[in-house]
Amino acid sequence: MKTLQRHILSSAVAGAFTLTGTAALAAQDDIATLRADIETLKQQVESAAEWKRPNSLIHMAGYADVDYVDPDNGPGSFASGSISPIFHYQYRDLVMVESEFEITTNELGENEFELEYLTVDLFLSDSAVLVMGKFLSPLGQFRQNLHPSWINRAPSAPAGFGHDEAAPNAEVGLQVRGGFPVGSDGIKANYAVYIGNGPALEAAGGEIEMIETPGIGADDDGNKVSGGRFGLLFPAQKLEIGLSYATGQASVRDTAMTPVFYETGRDYEYTGFDFTWRPAPFDLRGEYAKQEVGDLPGSAYAVNGGAWEAWYVQGAYRFGDGKWEVVLRLGEYDTPDDATDNEQTLVGLNYLFASNLIGKIAIERNDNPNAGFQNDDRTLVQLAYGF
Amino acid sequence: MKTKTRHFFYSMGLALLLGSGIPTVQAEETGSYPPKGDPARGARAWADNCTRCHNLREAPELRDDQWITTSFHMRVRAGLTGQETRDIITFMQMSN
Ligand code: HEC
Repeated sequence: MKTLQRHILSSAVAGAFTLTGTAALAAQDDIATLRADIETLKQQVESAAEWKRPNSLIHMAGYADVDYVDPDNGPGSFASGSISPIFHYQYRDLVMVESEFEITTNELGENEFELEYLTVDLFLSDSAVLVMGKFLSPLGQFRQNLHPSWINRAPSAPAGFGHDEAAPNAEVGLQVRGGFPVGSDGIKANYAVYIGNGPALEAAGGEIEMIETPGIGADDDGNKVSGGRFGLLFPAQKLEIGLSYATGQASVRDTAMTPVFYETGRDYEYTGFDFTWRPAPFDLRGEYAKQEVGDLPGSAYAVNGGAWEAWYVQGAYRFGDGKWEVVLRLGEYDTPDDATDNEQTLVGLNYLFASNLIGKIAIERNDNPNAGFQNDDRTLVQLAYGF
Repeated sequence: MKTKTRHFFYSMGLALLLGSGIPTVQAEETGSYPPKGDPARGARAWADNCTRCHNLREAPELRDDQWITTSFHMRVRAGLTGQETRDIITFMQMSN
């Protein structure tokens, strides 16, 4: 080989080796950098995923509805509807604060703001939660589970299941609730037992006019009420049945006196039964509720007590890809004052834009045979959104 | 911050606090909660329970963290057991 050629060749080989050596060193550096990058990335991913399983959670939910109500015996009008924001604060599986407000504008254009519930829930064990504060009455199913407008398949509450009627609305007190399996067929029991301040009685004209159950913030009459609901769930049959009972004493209160005067207590009792049966595409529900107060001989306000009693059965049927729903609800409300009795029939049609956004139209017929006149029948339109 | 460094600073802070005699309840480590449930049982519990009162709410409707509070809310409302709740949360988060 010529000298020149040899030189060229050897320098080329030497050069190649040097290059490879440099490349190897550079690659090691790169690997180290990459490792460091991956480590950083891992930590970032770990931190980024923290929100999925944080210790403290703040959560907002709720529901809102807008309505149009057209009574047969008066002008139709838009109703502001209401918004009910729910706030939750939770620390792990130890505690949760639940609160819900209801904000609405009334017929006079005034805004109303209510505390629907406010409780601190302590998760005691897998089958018991201690709930303390102001809570929806655990008696029956409509008031605690079905009244939010995106859940209620009708745009109104059944007769007797509104405010201060046959079914208690709320309570201020303490409850323990939970569930546990019964037997082996997947049958489950759920329960709620409570003690609370109980209702107040309004009297006028020598009669008890109503039992007020908004959840009374102080037990000024000194009479507690206790009770609860026991439910059995048969998942295979899509059936749930519930029994409710409460007992205690309640007093007539005279708000015209300062300070407010509370009469001696008289007996108070609630009995209720509810069921749900959901053989798809049907959904059938019903409930019976009765609040009763005893007589009080010598009372300056009302000697006689009485019973406020109501029931409803409701059937809903889904069709058209599950987007449409027809609803039929029958019910009755019976009170000691014949003038407020009501026999109600509601027929409705719903459109489900989404599972939590529902358009409803319904005709509600209200009759009062006991008072010998026709109550106001109404056409109701509602758009309800649960979020 | 690196986990080790974080732990070091945190322990230092705690030591100072404890040394100063201020009573503390030590917080649990993040990420250790909620304990993982069984997604298959969760699917069953979801199907059995979540249409009892209202229309079915599906996993993509809410974020993973929102499912934790919502499921605890429903636990109280519907009388679910703690185990059912954990199973449902895991099922919802895995389907999301
Ligand atoms: C016992 C009746 C009942 C059962 C069973 C039930 N829910 Fe609910 N759910 C409600 C009620 C009532 C509300 C509205 C809460 C309110 O307005 O206070 C609600 C609200 C919700 C909301 C709206 C967000 C929130 O936290 O309010 C979601 C999502 C939800 N439920 C999902 C579920 C899931 C998932 C299940 C099955 C584990 C379930 N629900 C079972 C009664 C029930």
